[in-house]
Amino acid sequence: MAAVATCGSGAGTTGSAVATASKSNVTSFQRRGPRASGTNDSGPRLVSIAGTRPSVRNGQLLVSTGLPALDQLLGGGLAIGTVLLIEEDKYNIYSPLLFKCFLAEGIVNGHTLLVASAKEDPANILQELPAPLLDDNSKKEFDEDVYNHKTPESNIKMKIAWRYQLLPKMEIGPVSSRFGHYYDASKRIPQELIEASNWHGFFLPEKISSTLKVEPCSLTPGYIKLLQFIQNIIYEEGFDGSNPQKKQRNVLRIGIQNLGSPLWGDDICCAENGSNSHSLTKFLYVLRGLLRTSLSACIITMPTHLIQNKTIIARVTNLSDTVIGLESFIGSERETNPLYKDYHGLIHIRQIPRLNNLICDESDVKDLAFKLKRKLFTIEAEVQKGVSRATFLLDGPRKKLFPCLFQLLEVACIPWLMASSSIFRASNIFESFLCYQLWVFSASLFHF
Amino acid sequence: MLDSLLSLGGLVLLRDSVEWEGRSLLKALVKKSALCGEQVHILGCEVSEEEFREGFDSDINNRLVYHDFFRDPLNWSKTEEALPGGPLGALRAICKRTDPGPVTIALDSLSWLLLHLPCTTLCQALHAVSHQDACPGDSSPVGKVSVLGLLHEELHGPGPVGALSSLAQTEVTLGGTKGQASAHILCRRPRQRPTDQTQWFSILPDFSLDLQEGPSVESQPYSDPHIPPVDPTTHLTFNLHLSKKEREAKDSLILPFQFSSEKQQALLRPRPGQATSHIFYEPDAYDDLDQEDPDDDLDI
Repeated sequence: MAAVATCGSGAGTTGSAVATASKSNVTSFQRRGPRASGTNDSGPRLVSIAGTRPSVRNGQLLVSTGLPALDQLLGGGLAIGTVLLIEEDKYNIYSPLLFKCFLAEGIVNGHTLLVASAKEDPANILQELPAPLLDDNSKKEFDEDVYNHKTPESNIKMKIAWRYQLLPKMEIGPVSSRFGHYYDASKRIPQELIEASNWHGFFLPEKISSTLKVEPCSLTPGYIKLLQFIQNIIYEEGFDGSNPQKKQRNVLRIGIQNLGSPLWGDDICCAENGSNSHSLTKFLYVLRGLLRTSLSACIITMPTHLIQNKTIIARVTNLSDTVIGLESFIGSERETNPLYKDYHGLIHIRQIPRLNNLICDESDVKDLAFKLKRKLFTIEAEVQKGVSRATFLLDGPRKKLFPCLFQLLEVACIPWLMASSSIFRASNIFESFLCYQLWVFSASLFHF
Repeated sequence: MLDSLLSLGGLVLLRDSVEWEGRSLLKALVKKSALCGEQVHILGCEVSEEEFREGFDSDINNRLVYHDFFRDPLNWSKTEEALPGGPLGALRAICKRTDPGPVTIALDSLSWLLLHLPCTTLCQALHAVSHQDACPGDSSPVGKVSVLGLLHEELHGPGPVGALSSLAQTEVTLGGTKGQASAHILCRRPRQRPTDQTQWFSILPDFSLDLQEGPSVESQPYSDPHIPPVDPTTHLTFNLHLSKKEREAKDSLILPFQFSSEKQQALLRPRPGQATSHIFYEPDAYDDLDQEDPDDDLDI
């Protein structure tokens, strides 16, 4: 039975498959091909770059964002050539952590880094990166964090599913050959890893002199300098394929912190109709052009809660590829709500790109919350304790109000109103016509 | 907390309004830091130098370094003592002076600067000044720089106020009830949760700070005591709780496929006298117990 399954798969494999159980693979069968080593290779034709893997859905080359949970939500990882925009939380506590995990992932995989900031010196940012959880310690520390929150219900589960008691709680493979890594937020990255890495820093107060006159140009001078810097690095180090004699192709990870804040010289946070209101959108447009023609991925954090003109936020969201918003509970009334007591904030996935695809990879779970445990940053689906639909309606985000109302109607079991709800859920005209007929029929039944 | 505002360094934003003015608190903090022996620089833009120095005694007045931008803000009189570059040039010059020792700069007021300068330039200058100690450009150790800025929040929209408060390390909002002034202090430390505190105080005629226990002194991280915590299990039409007896009954229930130790022992123990397996069959009413083989009738 096993031999039949493996003979059917894969052209060119002769004989039975090598059935060695390897911890990092999902399946225990391995194809015996010309290359026996390397789990990142998917075939002799593709160039394998460390830390990347092709997406299983559309073949796009992906890099990890530094948080495996976030990778899963984005459909496997961040595609090369795209921009990940993070809308900062109000007091800017959790978004720097995501930013640093992205950069730390680049260091662990050996990618080149480009860090741009107007607030902190990039060398200081790199000193504060979180340490990766290594192979031998990772399982112990991870389990420690998981077991600390063990509830009595999990013991009851083991009465029925006792056969699974011997299996480990979490699957953690070795660090260096895996796609995403876990990071310990309480420790700093070892100095030798930083020194071994290749990084470029852009600190705005050094690059721009304070008495520079603003030229009559639509882009803020800070943005112009940054774009020139990025373009120079991409060209000189050959990320756009301009130097084919370079030894090994590598990925450039660009991190831009606090874009759009007044420290970059942009006044969208200060005034509603500033003089340079198109500066940020033009910057993003040019940046995306630079990224699409090179092997690079970019993370940008932006204080969107300070931007006064809401249309700029909508434009910025359209111009970025993946957009994630962080909303922390500090200072809001949700901090005392027991539904949220285990979490520190909500994650809103605002946009996922459709790259060479008609649909995008959105996950089914829409209520996502994050918490920063002692060491790890985790993202989980919110567990709605209690079946109180009214609190779900009030606490859910605004765009989910429509399906919430229909759930309320289902609970109330009004058949003729339920039929009309299915009209709105129907995805094409034919279905909605059928539903309309059904509604009319049931309405007539109701009246009789 | 109010008296240790300047010890944290960075930008301290004093937000006042028409009812609760902040210049007296600014002068009290200036007096406190002057008495501590720090260098104090004042950028006076909104009121005249005489009015600012009024109420201070002479030794404090001698310690204050006053830069006057009220009398001649655009430098029309072209005197040599005026610093080039306006108020921002004065700010940068103060930082470049770099005497080792803590420096306090009082800006009176930030509102005047916001109205005369573009907000982004001001934010960049304030950030450069308040983070002087963070970037060691030269080898000399620069002391801690605290910038005290007075902001009249009614004069500005939410944009500039939001931008400045995101830059500030500490934000003090003045308020109060019935003649008693209070300061709501919000402290943002770089990678920690912000803490807030409300302190009741009053300023004595010689500009020294008198901390008081007001009607209510709250000192807690952001939580509103007026909203009771929401319990989602109330108002349900079904029961989610288990009583003690029900819980005991649930725990003692033996599930059908539970692999208890007795069953395990029974399976493991070799059965006496049974080497092979047996099939036990009870014939049904409709069963045909004829021993003949029906295939014998076939004629092949």
